[in-house]
Amino acid sequence: MASTPPAQRRTFPEALRSRSDEHLVALLLQRPDLATPSPSTLRSLAARATSRTSLDRATARLDALELQVLESVLVLGDQPPPRTPTSRPAPTRPTRGAPGDDGAVTVDRVLDALGASDADAPVVRAALAHLEEAALLWDRDPSPRTDLAVAPGLSEVLGPYPAGLGPTDPSSPLAARPADSLTPTGSPACIGTTALDDLLADAPPGARSILDALTWGPPVGVAPRADPVGREATTWLLRQRLLLASDERHVVLPREVALALREGRTHARPLAHPPEPDAPHFAEDTIAAEAARAAQDAVRLVAHLLALWQASPPSVLRAGGLGVRDLRRLATTLEVEEPSAAFVAELALAAGLVVDDGEDPPSFTVTVAGEDWLDLPLAARWALLAAAWAGSGRTPWTVGSRDERGTLRAALEPDLTRPWVPRLRSDLLSALADRPGTALTSGDLLEVLRWGSPRSVPPLQAIEGLLHEAHLLGVTGVGALAPTGRALLRPDGAAPVARTNAPAESSRSGAPVLTSSEAALAAALESVLPPEVDELLLQGDLTGIVPGRPSTALERLLEDAAEVESRGAAITVRFTPESLTRAFDAGRTADDLLADLAGHSRASLPQPLDYLVRDTARRHGRLRVGSASSYVRAEDAALLTGLVEDPSLRHLSLFRIAPTVLVSLVPAATLQAALRDRGLASTVEGPDGRVVRTERLRTTVRSRVGGRRPLDTATRGRSAVGPAVHQEDAAARRERYAELVPRLRAADDAALAAPPTTTTREDVAPEPRGTTEPPAALGLLRDAIDAGDHVVLETIDPTGQPTRRRVKPLVLEGGRLRALDPARDAELTVAVHRIAGVFTDAPAPTQDASTDATTNASAGAPND
Amino acid sequence: MADGPLIVQSDKTLLLEVDHPRSGDARRAIAPFAELERAPEHVHTYRLTPLGLWNARAAGHDAEQVVNVLLEYSRYPVPHALLVDVAETMARYGRLQLVAHPTHGLVLQATDKAVLAEVLKSKRTAGLVGDRLGDDSVVVHPSERGHLKQVLLKLGWPAEDLAGYVDGEKHPIDLSPTDPAHEDKPWAMRPYQQQAVEGFWHGGSGVVVLPCGAGKTIVGAGAMAKSGTTTLILVTNTVSARQWRDELVRRTTLTEDEIGEYSGARKEIKPVTIATYQVLTTKRKGVYTHLELLDARDWGLVVYDEVHLLPAPIFRMTADLQARRRLGLTATLVREDGREDEVFSLIGPKRYDAPWKDIEAQGYIAPADCVEVRLTLSDRDRMAYATAEPEDKYRLAATAAGKNRVVEQIAAAHPDDQVLVIGQYLDQLEELGDHLDAPVITGATTVRERQRLFEAFRSGEISRLVVSKVANFSIDLPEASVAIQVSGSFGSRQEEAQRLGRIMRPKQDGRTAHFYAVVSRDTVDQDFAAHRQRFLAEQGYAYRIVDAEDLGVVQ
Repeated sequence: MASTPPAQRRTFPEALRSRSDEHLVALLLQRPDLATPSPSTLRSLAARATSRTSLDRATARLDALELQVLESVLVLGDQPPPRTPTSRPAPTRPTRGAPGDDGAVTVDRVLDALGASDADAPVVRAALAHLEEAALLWDRDPSPRTDLAVAPGLSEVLGPYPAGLGPTDPSSPLAARPADSLTPTGSPACIGTTALDDLLADAPPGARSILDALTWGPPVGVAPRADPVGREATTWLLRQRLLLASDERHVVLPREVALALREGRTHARPLAHPPEPDAPHFAEDTIAAEAARAAQDAVRLVAHLLALWQASPPSVLRAGGLGVRDLRRLATTLEVEEPSAAFVAELALAAGLVVDDGEDPPSFTVTVAGEDWLDLPLAARWALLAAAWAGSGRTPWTVGSRDERGTLRAALEPDLTRPWVPRLRSDLLSALADRPGTALTSGDLLEVLRWGSPRSVPPLQAIEGLLHEAHLLGVTGVGALAPTGRALLRPDGAAPVARTNAPAESSRSGAPVLTSSEAALAAALESVLPPEVDELLLQGDLTGIVPGRPSTALERLLEDAAEVESRGAAITVRFTPESLTRAFDAGRTADDLLADLAGHSRASLPQPLDYLVRDTARRHGRLRVGSASSYVRAEDAALLTGLVEDPSLRHLSLFRIAPTVLVSLVPAATLQAALRDRGLASTVEGPDGRVVRTERLRTTVRSRVGGRRPLDTATRGRSAVGPAVHQEDAAARRERYAELVPRLRAADDAALAAPPTTTTREDVAPEPRGTTEPPAALGLLRDAIDAGDHVVLETIDPTGQPTRRRVKPLVLEGGRLRALDPARDAELTVAVHRIAGVFTDAPAPTQDASTDATTNASAGAPND
Repeated sequence: MADGPLIVQSDKTLLLEVDHPRSGDARRAIAPFAELERAPEHVHTYRLTPLGLWNARAAGHDAEQVVNVLLEYSRYPVPHALLVDVAETMARYGRLQLVAHPTHGLVLQATDKAVLAEVLKSKRTAGLVGDRLGDDSVVVHPSERGHLKQVLLKLGWPAEDLAGYVDGEKHPIDLSPTDPAHEDKPWAMRPYQQQAVEGFWHGGSGVVVLPCGAGKTIVGAGAMAKSGTTTLILVTNTVSARQWRDELVRRTTLTEDEIGEYSGARKEIKPVTIATYQVLTTKRKGVYTHLELLDARDWGLVVYDEVHLLPAPIFRMTADLQARRRLGLTATLVREDGREDEVFSLIGPKRYDAPWKDIEAQGYIAPADCVEVRLTLSDRDRMAYATAEPEDKYRLAATAAGKNRVVEQIAAAHPDDQVLVIGQYLDQLEELGDHLDAPVITGATTVRERQRLFEAFRSGEISRLVVSKVANFSIDLPEASVAIQVSGSFGSRQEEAQRLGRIMRPKQDGRTAHFYAVVSRDTVDQDFAAHRQRFLAEQGYAYRIVDAEDLGVVQ
């Protein structure tokens, strides 16, 4: 570390404290995990911000350029600073190092190290600003951006070889010379480069190419064994300390050499922009038309599913999913592939249209919301589906694969929810939105997303799955984002619109009310749908054609009365006796149906169709089927009429089905008793019509109440997945943070003002500043590691006794602290859970009474 | 674009709105690559099939043209996937080519080695090809040329046949300028016949589909004249063979001596030989004894009449005839056995097709009025029907006694017309013959007697004739204007169409033909009738349905 006037240097928590409230709110918005649960002070916020988990999380969301910037700052921070502007221009442009800036990592140095051109500079600066806001970069110097550093703990997160650079080698021939030996005309990198060239002047053949191979990382290579030339070159390089042997078989390129080879740069070129895949472009019309087609299909398939499940609800597996056989049946009925059928089912579930009814045995039942949904206009139906999809964390593409235990994943299974799905979905849609009219493949999108978050690359399978879903739902057309899909993205192009409340709730008062975002979705679909057609061309071969998208009324008529033969921009239907029977079953009459058809037809009805309708109507219902529990028959029709009219027998619900036969819903025994009570000497017949003795008929039949129990959609069963992730509104979050930050600051101020409260033992002299709060303690340790400072560490020894010693923390990793005990000149490793407290190295430490006598945690030992 | 006459469906059907002002243009534009599937009154349905697209490629159209036509006439945006599919399908044609190699004879050549490797790996091509000549060509046994083409078609890599045809033995044939049957007045082929001949000749081999009564024989004669070679004509039966001979003598410069008949009765081989399918498929001791006919002469042209009836053995024999020009003629290329594809791959693709209603509109076939008469069975018959075994049900329903009275009623309503009663069951026909006092022709009737009765019917000597299925095809009865069908072979669509075809010759006085199908209500008869009518209904012949009880009122 170069010596810097300590007065100007501050620690990470100090830097955090010096942020404005707004700036802190911005941090919390960037990294919500820091605010949940709310930290008590700014110091604990700082500790939390430097914890491994939080840093992992934060870096997972960085894009490739931001990571490069971080790596660059990290590497530059470890390197000696340039003192003067270089006289030797960098390959692209002159370096921007400002004279006399004292070894600090400046923006210009970062730009140079990245090899950023002038055009890239604004993007890099934006990345720097973003990283600062996220507290991954901070200013060591109070004046902004004069001495950048990465957040404590980040170097571990970035791995052993940041930017593909190997370990530093202090004894490297290229190691920075003492500051005074620097010539006023060269930056160390350039000096390194010239020095290296000198060194390599008499290198054996192959040495240069070995170095070249390792230059841009990874810095570790396998030492050649068989090849004599290679072996000789390696040996020479090792001897010159241009390579280091990391173990018996591997060599590693030290950082100094690599930087020299890189001419002082940390990266070959800045990844300033996401890759632009070479994908086909499509006209907006084509995309919109394809999306509209798919959207209509999606709505139709869901409606079909509801109709199917209304008729026969499939049972729920024990694990909560839909059985393979039921899925197959669904796929066959919908005439789609099984994966698509699984998606349709998931869509219906996500939109709350079907639900696990929780009965015994449970089955998937259509909800009240589902029934209401069926009555909505097409665009509104689609909007509800799309909104549900946008917020859903379901992963239907995994249906049919096996999990770790080898069990088949079933559709609608509660376990299929993944919290990262909505984010990935919005990333995908945004990536598509950034390239209008372009049909990106899943591979293309993977590359784009890899740039967007190299540390958490989404699985290709998930991208494929979501892309396919988007295609099926009509969010994309021909693979490019359609206007419908753009409506799913909020105006700021960030998160998809998600329905925050369950659709069932809004539907309780009647027809579902669309939220404004859903209305926007509906409008978007409306804008791409072809105009409605209310005309039906009826033909003599009993077919009919709607030359366009049918109006709702027409669609319903055709759904009732005809079989669809071909579907697309137009619909071809055929009228068959079966389809007409269906219409009559639904309560239509021949005249009503003919009038309806004629109303939609330009010409008069073809005679064959007219005849078919009437003929089918004639045959419809020639046989009647019903159920009754008992009957009364008599030769005397008048006597039976008397019974039907008798008010005292009304509870028997007698119904005449023939002049001489009445039926009743009550069991025969009850009927018999009632008739006897009225003084009629009835006898009971057996199934064969013979008279039986009454006593044998005492069994009562429990009448079953027909119909489905109305379902309370609010109390959903165990597969209540719905919109999976509860997405807190951004505005609400901002408000919460804005309240939180001043509280933190106040608590922090109070903690600083108050006397140390860590341990309250009387026999202890005034304590140095410190903490026993574990997160804060870790934060202090990280600060110390970062600054190379000493701390007083209180640990609990195996006997349960607290022990204090003064140490220099080295590495905090994997739940262990490695520290140097300067008094004993030994390294020690402490499990983090044994650390009871950490105290900054006080200028006048005291001998702790409780300290073990053998511990010579000698205070006051000079620091370096 | 928003106002085209065509709607392109994602399932590859094309809906053409007939009343649209541009429908004519659109029809001509899509005809080369789309198959007409249905032609009812308002919207005609075409279908894009791989075969159709490949035929279009063979005729020199490329995918870009097809796509442009679709885009130009479509009312709505064309599904993208369909366009991609069209391009991909058409790109498969011609990767393989059959060429005549100067030293190796017939060779299958590939412009894409992977495709050749793929098809040669298939078990289906085993035995059809000989030695590999390199990684892009392979020798083909000349006798397997047809079979190989068929297999390649099934594998989805249709071969472009560049090997050409043998010229055949020259024999001058010309169309005669005058018509001896019409006082030697000059005549000429009708425009659509001309187009059909041109279409066939341009394509080399193929099938011409024309409605019954539209003069398919003349298309045959035209093709022979164009070819000017010895010709083998395969027909369904002897009566038909004689009609062909008469027609050829009348329409061409051929004399009776130049035309031979090769049938059960006679075995003549002349420059133009007319043979029946039956004699070719006769087997004796397990071998086809008359196969040598196919090699008897160096035929330059083979004509298949009623190609939809081509029996399976002929398919196999025909496979060997790939080097000769082949012309298939039919009115109804629908087969209940679904072997239309084999017809296409062995005879050749469809070269000309005209909707029946179009020809009718041009006045070359008589307008027809189709009526289905529904007869309510008597209670006694219904009971018998209800308790009958399933295999007897159709017979019971089709031969219901009530039909006799209905037929009488219909015949009485057409006192001045030549009435043909057509049925399936002989006893029913005999009974009807008695009722109507009309002669009956069945399979048992001798050829001589048949010809006599047909002649008497043609000349108007008798006005009522009861016939069995022997008269389904190829029987030319120009003046018959009423046909009453009482029973048929179950649900055969082409039988229905052929029977209608018997009465579709244009009448001297332009009368409308009447076709009645008498059907028993609520029985399988009705179900079969619905299926039988499908082809005609799709050609735009809408059946009126009339209750038997209302017959008097309707007339």
